[in-house]
Amino acid sequence: MTRIGATREVFSFFAVLGRRSGRTRTFMALGLIPVVVAVLARIFLRGRSGELAAVSTEILMVFFLQIYIVILSLFYGTSITAEEVENRTLTYLGTRPVPKPAIVIGKYGAYAVLLFVMVAIGLGGSYFILNAARLGDPALYGAFFRYLGVLGLGILAYMAFFAFLGTILKRAIIVGLIFGFGWENIIQYFPGSTQKFSIVHYLKSLLPYQPGAGGGRGVALLLFRLEPTPPLGAGLMLAAIAGVFLALACWIFRTREYLYED
Amino acid sequence: MTAVIAATHLSKWYGHVLGLNDVSLEIEEGITGLLGPNGAGKSTFMKLATGQLKPNIGTVTVHGRRTWNTPGIFRTIGFCPEPDAFYDDMTGFEFLTGLLRFYGFSAKERRERAARALDVVDLTGDKDRLIRGYSRGMRQRVKFAQTIAHDPEVLILDEPLSGLDPLGKRKLIKVIRDFRSQGRTVLVSSHVLPEIEALTSRIVLIHQGQILAQGDISMVRELIEAHPHQISVRSSDPRGLAARFVADPAVLKMTFDPDGRTFVVETRDRDELFGHLAEAALAAGIEIEEITSPDDNLQSVFEYLVGK
Repeated sequence: MTRIGATREVFSFFAVLGRRSGRTRTFMALGLIPVVVAVLARIFLRGRSGELAAVSTEILMVFFLQIYIVILSLFYGTSITAEEVENRTLTYLGTRPVPKPAIVIGKYGAYAVLLFVMVAIGLGGSYFILNAARLGDPALYGAFFRYLGVLGLGILAYMAFFAFLGTILKRAIIVGLIFGFGWENIIQYFPGSTQKFSIVHYLKSLLPYQPGAGGGRGVALLLFRLEPTPPLGAGLMLAAIAGVFLALACWIFRTREYLYED
Repeated sequence: MTAVIAATHLSKWYGHVLGLNDVSLEIEEGITGLLGPNGAGKSTFMKLATGQLKPNIGTVTVHGRRTWNTPGIFRTIGFCPEPDAFYDDMTGFEFLTGLLRFYGFSAKERRERAARALDVVDLTGDKDRLIRGYSRGMRQRVKFAQTIAHDPEVLILDEPLSGLDPLGKRKLIKVIRDFRSQGRTVLVSSHVLPEIEALTSRIVLIHQGQILAQGDISMVRELIEAHPHQISVRSSDPRGLAARFVADPAVLKMTFDPDGRTFVVETRDRDELFGHLAEAALAAGIEIEEITSPDDNLQSVFEYLVGK
């Protein structure tokens, strides 16, 4: 079997497992919170389309970009190798005729698709409920797919970084939490080039907002001190982050031996 | 006969703990039992032989190929791990067909192979149940099924009989013996002598990370017979009972436990001692509450071999 073939088989294996897990059900429910908020907003802000649009943006910014994709990527990314060791199931994968990097890449791919679908359902549900009055407007769909694309890139970059942490650290979740909700939340507001040491900076640079262009409180907070990287540069940087950390995770997973705790 | 599994000066340590110490060993076709107490190094050897661990010193090969980071050799190896660990959200059938994906079999062949392997371990009727709901014995059987599903030439089985009921053990022993008759190589570990005895007469004794002896199981049996046994007797009147047969030639040594209800007898002839013990208890009208053997025979043999 070729490396690509092996990666595809690992992908299929974990696509099934990932869908089934209790963790996925829990996070799926979490992702539906904005949909509930959107329904409530429709009920209580009936006829005030400007406010609905603001709520929509707040949901996207605060919840999906700053919380949901970070949490999802953290739990699924670190689990790519760590859960196999903790659950002692690594033996089943490690004694198959499959190169170890194929295990990391295949599982990363399966979880990335799963997370993307979860995000798309939550985002799509809330976004189109809030913008139900504009469903005939093609610009609505353009913006939606741009948001979704940014979140997808965020998933790929965050998950690769957390996958890397999972291969080298025993308590990767804790370090990941500090990174995702400490470092990322602080460093993005630093002036100058320091903010470029955060993943979220590049994600924000790809959003269809410009500093000083107004918007809700979420937008104002997000654009605070943002010195955006040009979209092409931001996209390339996110791709590079994903590629480098995934390659590192593969290399470490291939060379390191993992011991079960007795 | 050429060695299928070969270890040369193999050593492995975990930090400051020695897992395996300068082991040189050749496993040939047929069934070989790896016998040793818990923590002896059996699992470490098997993990090294299946490429899950990297040797600190020495080499281990299967069919002449080193196992660490050589995924290709796993086409010919089936490994049954000792831990009771699974992808619990899968059914037994999905677990097997899922793992068979990694060999490049077609979907049809995966289903057929999984069905055959589950049939061998009598799990056909439960194949569509989630593994989470399986009993310990069923989990042990599905673990064995994943070992054989891809039809490997070499089976490495780490405590495959643990957790099985007597009937399950008998069935699995028969299946493993069938593999030998098909000309395959089976390395099976256990800390229970009768289990290994039921499978093979060729054994390797391992203790504290070292190979103590290898050869025919009759050698171990002879050592066990030559070694004193300890029998613990709990009674309402232990001193009264002990006084009745302390002069018996079968008794080598006798000690009393601090609990005041138990005494331990050391003997070379257990059967004779049991007979005399029963006679003494009946004659004195003393009740025997419990008879146990705190001394595991195999453990005694290992201690004897390492010169303790």
